Amino acid sequence: MQDKITRLFKAIADPTRRDIFHALVIATSALSITQISNQFDMTRQGVTKHIKTLEEAGLVYINSQGRERFCNANPKELQEVNKWIKFYEQFWDDKLSSLGDYLDSKT
Amino acid sequence: MKDSIKKEVVFNQSINQVWNAITKAEEISTWFIPADFKAEKGYKYLFTSPPNEKGCTTIGGEILEANPYVLVYTWIVGGTETETTVKWELESTAEGTKLTLEHTGISNYAGETAIEMFESFNGGWDNCINGLTSYLKETINAG
Repeated sequence: MQDKITRLFKAIADPTRRDIFHALVIATSALSITQISNQFDMTRQGVTKHIKTLEEAGLVYINSQGRERFCNANPKELQEVNKWIKFYEQFWDDKLSSLGDYLDSKT
Repeated sequence: MKDSIKKEVVFNQSINQVWNAITKAEEISTWFIPADFKAEKGYKYLFTSPPNEKGCTTIGGEILEANPYVLVYTWIVGGTETETTVKWELESTAEGTKLTLEHTGISNYAGETAIEMFESFNGGWDNCINGLTSYLKETINAG
């Protein structure tokens, strides 16, 4: 489990990878490695390496068609974490307020 | 990306009163969730929210640290395998006691089934929290 967060942080720590991920999120369809290479003026090898890191973090999934590989963003990974954060924020606010009431009721 | 929640609250009560409220099973059961709990390192605790028609959520884990005034335990919601960590830390201040609560590892929930888990858990919690609130109200009214 700890590996997962490490991979996620590693993936989003690099500005180029964030840009690639962002480009995939706003793209209306999957982008091929070639398209990403052209857009970012990078070699295919460079793009492939970044995509692999994003894929390992679960942020990107790849469909192969013939020789070309098409990349899709999977921002759900991040959204879900936000949902849990929101849920627990509310949960702890409620519980700590309940603790305060409890302590006051005893004194 | 945010992976943890941190809350700071100051209570008027003494550090020992607050420590008892967060470590004694009887007290935890009153304001938090009915608990089988011992503030001893290695103890496997279990919180079980009051039952309702949908059944109820359990939370379990292991005490990692319990020395006054630091309490740390793992936090695993029943039916999931995701482990997060909750840390309570107390500090005496001029006004009373400062509590710092930290819930870390929340990004461990990232995964395909997380949305589903969240929805069922959330529904369950709403019911359980309502149950607890009315229980507390009754107790206060009765007292």
